Amino acid sequence: MRGLYIHIPFCVRKCAYCDFYSLAGRQHLVPAYVDALLTEARSYAGLSFQTLYLGGGTPSLLGDRGLRRLLNGLHQVFDLSGLAEATIEVNPDSATTALLETARQKGFNRVSIGVQSLRDGELNSVGRVHNAAQALAALAQAKATGFASISADVIIGLPEQNWGTLHSTIGKLVHMGVQHISAYCLSLEPGTPLAADPPANLPDDDAQAELFHRACSFLESEGFVHYEISNFARPDHECQHNLNYWRGGAYLGLGPAAASHLNGRRFKDRDDLETYLRNPTGLVEDVEILNAEAKAAEEAMLRLRLLREGIDVRALATRFGRANTQGLTRRLREMAMRGCLVRDSTRYVLPADRVLVSNSAFAEVLGD
Amino acid sequence: MKNIRNFCIIAHIDHGKSTLADRILELTNVIHTVSKEPSLDSMDLERERGITIKAKAVRIPYYARNGQDYILNLIDTPGHVDFSYEVSRSLKACEGAILLVDASQGVEAQTIANTYLAIDAGLTIIPVINKIDLTNIMLDDCYLQLDEMLGIPSEDVLRVSGKLGTGVPELLEAIIERIPPPQGSPDEPLSCLIFDSAYDSYRGVLPHIRIFAGSVQRGDRIMLKSTGKVFEVDEVGYFSPDPVVGQKLGAGEVGYLTATIREAGDVHVGDTIISAKHPNTPAIPGFRHPQPMVYCGLYPVISNDYGKLTAALEKFQLNDSSIVYEKESSGALGYGYRVGFLGMLHMDITLERLKREYELMLIATMPSVVYKIITTKPEELYVDSPSKFPEPDRIDHIEEPIIRARVIVPMEFVGPCMELADSKRGSLIGMEHPDGKRVVLIYDFPLAEIITGYYDKLKSVSRGYASVSYDLMGYQPGDLVKVDILVKGTKVDALSYIAPRETASTRGRALIHKLRKLIPRHQFEVSLQAAIGKKVVAREDIVPIRKDVLAKCYGGDITRKRKLLEKQKEGKKLMKMVGQVEIPQEAFLSLLKLEE
Repeated sequence: MRGLYIHIPFCVRKCAYCDFYSLAGRQHLVPAYVDALLTEARSYAGLSFQTLYLGGGTPSLLGDRGLRRLLNGLHQVFDLSGLAEATIEVNPDSATTALLETARQKGFNRVSIGVQSLRDGELNSVGRVHNAAQALAALAQAKATGFASISADVIIGLPEQNWGTLHSTIGKLVHMGVQHISAYCLSLEPGTPLAADPPANLPDDDAQAELFHRACSFLESEGFVHYEISNFARPDHECQHNLNYWRGGAYLGLGPAAASHLNGRRFKDRDDLETYLRNPTGLVEDVEILNAEAKAAEEAMLRLRLLREGIDVRALATRFGRANTQGLTRRLREMAMRGCLVRDSTRYVLPADRVLVSNSAFAEVLGD
Repeated sequence: MKNIRNFCIIAHIDHGKSTLADRILELTNVIHTVSKEPSLDSMDLERERGITIKAKAVRIPYYARNGQDYILNLIDTPGHVDFSYEVSRSLKACEGAILLVDASQGVEAQTIANTYLAIDAGLTIIPVINKIDLTNIMLDDCYLQLDEMLGIPSEDVLRVSGKLGTGVPELLEAIIERIPPPQGSPDEPLSCLIFDSAYDSYRGVLPHIRIFAGSVQRGDRIMLKSTGKVFEVDEVGYFSPDPVVGQKLGAGEVGYLTATIREAGDVHVGDTIISAKHPNTPAIPGFRHPQPMVYCGLYPVISNDYGKLTAALEKFQLNDSSIVYEKESSGALGYGYRVGFLGMLHMDITLERLKREYELMLIATMPSVVYKIITTKPEELYVDSPSKFPEPDRIDHIEEPIIRARVIVPMEFVGPCMELADSKRGSLIGMEHPDGKRVVLIYDFPLAEIITGYYDKLKSVSRGYASVSYDLMGYQPGDLVKVDILVKGTKVDALSYIAPRETASTRGRALIHKLRKLIPRHQFEVSLQAAIGKKVVAREDIVPIRKDVLAKCYGGDITRKRKLLEKQKEGKKLMKMVGQVEIPQEAFLSLLKLEE
């Protein structure tokens, strides 16, 4: 299993909370950027992938022409015959019928819509460029276009948000028939306008936790599975591409700020669009090769995010060697005895009530 | 010898001592470059805090207007309230003292205290008003204060500007004319005073000495009077301001010697060095071992640094023999040291230097004075830490050290200073009015109150105008109790404190409240309690944390995620685990900051 991630670092406008790498007002660079992506792709020519994910930024800003050209190019460079899941992220304001239809034609079977909220006030307060009506229209269009799986992003903890408004957003999404919801708690990331000048009506951590727990209960009662810390899906609609990240799988990331994990080696492209356009293969940095013991611990940390699947120490021991998982197994056992983890024979998962306070567990699983 | 003059400068902090010293050194060509930084203060910290911590001596050749060559030895003295013993030893090495007063500030408490010490030591005082280049000066007030407070007639007072050099040549002439040359015969057996010391990793301890009789040179066998230990002199010399190796030091002279002395504990300021050939030469009177007044626990933040801390303290003591330390272990903090200091400033500076110069991350616990406990047996115990207190039923009564403080304050700030004294259990002993503008308040305070934020508070209520000096008076019984702090049911020894019974509960509540803000929320509830004996006097609970998770997945940037977790973990390593509770370092000093 190998995933292909492609980063599209363009946005109409930067949202107040966002610290992902993307630039506003550079859409005119899209044609050159597609060329650069294909140049970078050629340095990995012949690789096969089972999942594809176009993320951003705002991938819908590629436009139908850009998207078509990119996919045509990728099909020439890579072996995409075994592609089981292909996701495109879209923003409601740029999810045009032409774009969505092109995506379908080019093999995308999953669309992730940046809904965030279905309340205009909440959307405005963090500088989103779309409104609730556009989000609903995009959802309807995605459905009509025939995507097998539709996902919506929702932000928990927007200014003035309460359970009433959040419930109404999520309720409508469920009613519209989305099969997947990613619910992220708003966080004040250093360097963002939101962190520099946080609004007074921002729900605090406790209020966020309260909203999150209510959202979990509601979605579970509607038949969604809380399969990852921030992700809910109807059965068989889990995002395969993201599951692969959390299972320690291999993936190639193309574009500035995209991360890769190939043959046990983690690396990323520097977040520098200008240089990338000139020299798409010269930005690799942060190369990291961990020893087997650290690798096993890292994978365990990632797998802990999978609330149902968790960590199977027997499987890890088989893959990394018993000597390299002994310390990890001991840590897991101790944590389970303290109630920090739930153990079921060789499998360990986070207790349901600790999903939102799991950093200390992640850190402990990683070890020293 | 008749052409030697040994003198020091007595001044309050920031009254321009180092600048004046620099002008003198420039005028006599000891230093050539006009540097902005004072030459005598060698430690960064001194510059930052405007204080000379350790004394030094500089030899200054001076060609006087009478056509004769002189040697002036300028002996630097510490200017802070904690170092009065060191000051008295520096004074002992001199025949005269320049009393330096800032024309814009007037005479300060510490200056008076040190001037009295100088007068008692029989020194000739040359009063000097500095900073006459400033515009907002109050010359008449300075004259009046010098007269009223120290009995110095106006006609004796010189006026200088250390900054511009105005009046400095006249001052040099006054040093020659007014200060008597040293007495003492070079033919008698060696007798010299250690007034300071430094440490050099190659040559060992370098005592700074003033020779009163006889002479010393390379190859001489010397004896340290207080210990009887004998060493052979490797080198003698003087500072100019860097060390200059000399042939011989004779009576009246000031310099240093090296004798491969490896143990800092062998060289004590105030001790007498004599010739091993004449072991019965009497000691110069006035020597005493340094008396630490304030103790605190010092613990490495990272337990593995214990060895580093040990090495740092050992090395530190070589340069400052007034620090005492012994091993201590705490249930909460692990292995560390109980360290004694001359006073709060001494403690602050030492901690800061340990952190900076040895790159140590340290937790310092609440400072404590040395209590005298009379047990029911009865026996007398001197206890420097609340954790060493006997059980309450073994205590008959507790006595605490009392100091007498002289607080000099402009009249308009007398009220706030008295209010402050009230809150610090001060009893007013007397009031003096040396001039029409300032009041001298004489108070007795329990030392324990002075070491918990009194100076800072005094400075703030008087907008920086009040100054204070103090002397230890002895012990007095106090109605004191020990307050324990329990975190999730576990007593944290390092947080225990001693307080007067009447305020113990109030402080307990304030401390618990402060701790509630400092200790992070955990995954479980953390109860905080203050207790006197078995009686809980304050309680607050820290509710469990509800959100602490890295929710986003940065397009598969796992490395970043792992590094964030590792950073978070590093932060936790800086906390101390008590049971399952992580307590940050600041918590251990929070009692000090209660009033902020």
